[in-house]
Parts: sequence; C-alpha cells; structure tokens
Amino acid sequence: MEGFRVLVVDDETDFLETIVKRLRKRKVDAVGLTSGVEALKYLETEHFDVVILDVRMPGLDGIETLKEMKKKRPLMEVIMLTGHASVESGMQGMQLGAFDYVIKPADFDELMEKIRQARERKSIHEEKLRRS
Amino acid sequence: MKIVENLMAFRRAWFPYLIALLIAGLGVLLWIKAGPEFGLISLPVLCCAFLLTRKLVLQLVKANEQKLSLDRQLIQSQKLAAIGELSSGIAHEINNPLAIIGQEVEWMKHQAKDAGTGAGGNLAEFLDSLMEIGKQVDRCREITHKLLDFARKREPLIQTTDINKLVEDMVRLVEREAVKRKIKIDRDYRPDLPVVQTDAPQLRQVVLNLLINANAAIDAGGCITVATRVVDGGYVELSVSDTGCGIPEENRDKIFDPFFTTKPPGKGTGLGLSICHGIITKLDGRITVASEVGKGTTFAVRLPVGRRKGTTG
Repeated sequence: MEGFRVLVVDDETDFLETIVKRLRKRKVDAVGLTSGVEALKYLETEHFDVVILDVRMPGLDGIETLKEMKKKRPLMEVIMLTGHASVESGMQGMQLGAFDYVIKPADFDELMEKIRQARERKSIHEEKLRRS
Repeated sequence: MKIVENLMAFRRAWFPYLIALLIAGLGVLLWIKAGPEFGLISLPVLCCAFLLTRKLVLQLVKANEQKLSLDRQLIQSQKLAAIGELSSGIAHEINNPLAIIGQEVEWMKHQAKDAGTGAGGNLAEFLDSLMEIGKQVDRCREITHKLLDFARKREPLIQTTDINKLVEDMVRLVEREAVKRKIKIDRDYRPDLPVVQTDAPQLRQVVLNLLINANAAIDAGGCITVATRVVDGGYVELSVSDTGCGIPEENRDKIFDPFFTTKPPGKGTGLGLSICHGIITKLDGRITVASEVGKGTTFAVRLPVGRRKGTTG
C-alpha cells in the first residue's frame, strides 16, 4: 500500500516482532518500538498514518503516550491494544481520541481492517482541513 | 394620542366594528322593509353589541399578549436555570478537591514547622500529603477535561460503519468485567443490517458508555441485552437494555443534563450521558430512554443510514 505507514508500540517484543512482520508482508511500511518514550522521540522526525499502541507499558503508559501523540500529531489515528482489557482505560482512551480499542489476542485480519479504517479516517480529516 | 391609541385598538380588535357594521346593515334593512321605528331599534342594539364585543375582544388580546410575554420569560429563566445548574455543578465538583488540597497544605505546613524547630517532622506524612494533593489535582483536571470535551465542537467524520460489529467489539470489552459479577450479555443483532454512514469512534464512545452504565446498574447476576434493528424511514436502531435498578420517573428527563448524577460525590461527574446525547444529536440521530424502577432500563440510539444534511463528511 502506497505510503501506508504504521507504528507499533508494545513492550512485549515477541508480539511486536510478529505484528511488524505480518504488516510488512501485507506491504505496510511498519516500524516497531518498545516504549512510549521512544515512540514520542521517533515521532519528532517521522510521520505515520496509524499507531498501534499498547495500553499497559512500563514507564510512560499507553494513555499518557496517547495524550502526547494527540498533541504532536493530532491527525494520526491511534488504535489501542491490550491484553488486560480495562473498560476504564478503554473509555478514557476513546475520550482522548483513540480510534478503537482492541483486546489481545486480536485476529490479524480484523486488526488490518481497523488499520485500514483508521487510515481512511485520517485521509477524510486531512481532506476536510484542506478544503476549509 | 388618544387617536393613535384608538387606531392601535382598532388594529387588534376589529371584530366589534364588524359586528356593529352588520347590525347597522340589519337596521337599514329593517328601516326599508318595516319602517323607521324598526330601523331605529337597531341603534341601541348596535351600540350595546359594539361596546360589549369590543371590551371582550380587547381583553382576549391582552390576555394572549400576557401569555406570550410569560412564555418568553419562562424560556429565558429556564435557560438561566440550566446555566446556573451547570455552573454550580462545576463549582461544587471542583470545590471538594480544592478543600482537600487546602487541608493537606495546612498539614504540610505543620510538618514543615515541626521539622524546622527540630521537633522532627515526619517525611512520610509529608510525602503522603503531596500524593493526596496530586490525586486531587488529577481529579480537577479530569473534571475540566470532561467539561472541555463536552463543550468541544465535535464535528463528525463520516465513514461507512458496520453497526453490529461496532457494538459487538464494545460488548466484548465490557463482557470480561461483567462476567466476573455473573452478569450475562445477550445479543440480538439484526442480520444483514445495512451499513451506516456515521462517525465510528464517536459512536463507540456512546455504546461503551451505555454498556458501562448498564453494567453498573445491575448489582449481580443480571442480564444486559444489546440489539440492533431496522426502523422505517431509513434508520437503524441499536439498544442497550439492563435488568438493573431502573431510573425513577423524576430523574428520567434529567439524565441527559450535564452534571446530573446519582453517584456519590467524587465518583463520576455525570457528564457521560450528556456527551452521548451531544454526539448522537451531531450525528443526526436520537437517543431515548425507557425505564421501570426495579425492572430495568433500555437506552435506544437511532441513526439515519445515510447522511442527511448534505455535509461532505
């Protein structure tokens, strides 16, 4: 997919490698990082369409990372992902502007579909801003 | 000025003049047909009728104007009351954490004084107080954020959405916690539900909020039912029902008001349903509630399948 860039942030390295590999197989330009801090630093110079963000991470947790990402790159869509589904963090995340909230283990095809929809939303949003 | 007043009176109450004219006409007819005496009888009748109907009509007009003025005042005072309630809600919510912060600061000053005089201040106490202050600041921040969120112009971004899937995703999120309290969730999805042009992430927020509320309304061992159906006229409706405590009649109109909450202070600022209402309205939909105390509650969200107002989305 042309210029389709996805950033995956998860401290679980096994999961991270699997996801990045599968994304790349589907021709997505995927990058994997293991912490929120690293991700925010990377975002200072790099642009992505969609971020897959784990909620429970040591150090800067998912919600805090989400807040910072929304400040830096408001158009970039974030899909929250977690193995410990907490309804509270789900609600919080979505109120902060997360596109969706997915429980691990997630069916990869379903995740791809959500990534596609998130990217579509970004395009629509950009188009709207361009027109106004 | 009397002339102007009379002209104004005429404009509002032309009816008596019409009656007078009719009676005069009748008088003329009688004069022609039956002679002057009969014609002249119409004169006093005319005067009485004219004066009487004029008085009655003017009173009616006045009463109507008073009613309109009162209606306008009522709407205005209702608006002011709503703003007043909102402001006092905010003030009250923020006051509590501020009071606690104040207390902790006093305590910390005390500790600092003790440490200063060598009486041995307690560092653990000091840190405890700071943590409590931090907690209360977070609470305030949550309130102001929710308020900003509520006030924010939430322009929807429209995408093709599978409602059944969207609802099911949110149900799965809540189910994990509901099951722990022996609450089961039943699905009644309409197969082949048409896809809807709407803002998916915002709708997710609404559905999740309704599910969280349903979960909270049930003590234990109850049931939540989610359903989707098609409604005539190009609408799709999703509903969340619970077998919980129900909403008393006097609260039913207020539940979508900002800051209305039945939870104890500090737990939930009550902005949830008002935000939901705002979102659904912006999506050209409608959210309604039906409830019976002791039996349960059903929230229904109705959305147009296609986008109405011709927005480019």
